[in-house]
Amino acid sequence: MDDTATKIVDILKKHMKEPRDDIGLETALADLKIESIDLAMIVFELEDTFGIEIPYNANDTDEAAAFKTVGSVVERVKDVIASSKASAKA
Amino acid sequence: MCAIGPEPRAKDRVLKDGANARRRVVVTGMGAVTPIGLDATEMWASMRAGRCGVKPIENWPLDDLYIKIAGEIRDFDPAKHVKSRKIQYGDRYSWFAGRAADEAWSQSGLPTPYPEPYRAASVIGSGAGGFSTIETAYSDLFVHHKKATNPLTLLRIIGSSASAHVGIEYGIKGPTFATCSACSTATHAIGIGLDYIRNGVVDVAVTGASEAVLTYGSMRVWQAMRVLSPDGCFPFSKKRNGTVLGEGAGVLVLEEYEHAKARGATILAEIIGYGMSSDSKDMVNPDLDGPRTAMQMALDDAGIAPSQVNYLNAHGTATTLNDINETNAIKTVFGDHAHKLAVSSTKSMTGHLLGAGGAVEAVACIKAIQDGFAPPTINYTEPDPKCDLDYVPNEGRSMPIKYAMSNSFAFGGLNAVLLFGPPPA
Repeated sequence: MDDTATKIVDILKKHMKEPRDDIGLETALADLKIESIDLAMIVFELEDTFGIEIPYNANDTDEAAAFKTVGSVVERVKDVIASSKASAKA
Repeated sequence: MCAIGPEPRAKDRVLKDGANARRRVVVTGMGAVTPIGLDATEMWASMRAGRCGVKPIENWPLDDLYIKIAGEIRDFDPAKHVKSRKIQYGDRYSWFAGRAADEAWSQSGLPTPYPEPYRAASVIGSGAGGFSTIETAYSDLFVHHKKATNPLTLLRIIGSSASAHVGIEYGIKGPTFATCSACSTATHAIGIGLDYIRNGVVDVAVTGASEAVLTYGSMRVWQAMRVLSPDGCFPFSKKRNGTVLGEGAGVLVLEEYEHAKARGATILAEIIGYGMSSDSKDMVNPDLDGPRTAMQMALDDAGIAPSQVNYLNAHGTATTLNDINETNAIKTVFGDHAHKLAVSSTKSMTGHLLGAGGAVEAVACIKAIQDGFAPPTINYTEPDPKCDLDYVPNEGRSMPIKYAMSNSFAFGGLNAVLLFGPPPA
């Protein structure tokens, strides 16, 4: 896992009742017992840590899919970072 | 002559009627301030027509918000729309409450000041009180570094200021305070007024709630919760993707039936049942048991069968979970009748008025009974297999309505349900 992924896993662990050490990119968030309100907290901390804005909606099934596994969260964050860098250059 | 039998219970002794019969409570006035009408008549005309009050926000700059829609009340001018000079000095939430109360009190025909002041109550709740006042004061202090806040800041913020204002307006000296239970606030306020009158504490109660939290800061707070829809309020529809905030107020004047009859008042409806419960489980995820129990309590309180209810004004917030949970709770309580029941979410038209929602929806229930018309759930584009009741999609329906139920379920799992019927025969 790269730097971004490690940071994200640390954030996830912070919001777990019983943090685990076996979290990989394939791990499903549901298996980490992360609920909707935890996810709002996690997204907030991701935004704060990476200086980005993720318009995540707990009621949107497509967006919820982007937060299905640890890997999909990492991808989403990297996408947002890349697009915000692109718009900063423009 | 001396009565034979047990001593009457303490509760019965205060009854003016003497007998053990429960005092009946009727509605003799109602008022509403909503994104689809600044009075109950205009609001109802909009609901009949399926008009949508959810639109792009215009009242203030959006800046970096990505949720840009709400049920705003536009062009509200306190100098024009609020009669009382004192209330004009209040917060926006008090303006709405003042206007709705004025409409309701005028309709009731009760005299001002009320001649038996200690026999009247003013219970006007709010989920958040003077939210926009807090925001203005804090930006004055922290952003603009002003030397002082507006001297009325504190009085505007207090969540009981609307109830006090209304009490002052009509010379009410009995129980006067606010309820606060998020999206069940108004329904609890009406329920408390109902209980006070039934128990002989008062004969008249001005009840309801007001909410005015459409500000930049508040929208940011809601946006951070990730429960708002970016493009509209679609209750019970497959397309639903979150709720939409609204603002406004609703007020009912409740009165003891004999009291109203004796003065020849026009009776609009009777409140026949009330139920309340708490999930006691989770702050955001609703539970089946709490809503089910509150609905059942209201039916038991009224002493009617589930099959006698014709219309149900749902809480219907358009969040994924509420609408499924509410549908399941309705099915549990109403059994086979659930599919014959007209269920609609008028939030599809007003947006979610939060604390004030239950009062505005109570007005809708009374109008529905009076008019024999079930208001629609608009923006219903595609059925969701998990929400399979008759939601009166997109167009309202003329139908006989004798009994109407209104559901309010709040964050924290706080549930309150009212049941309305026609004026006593």
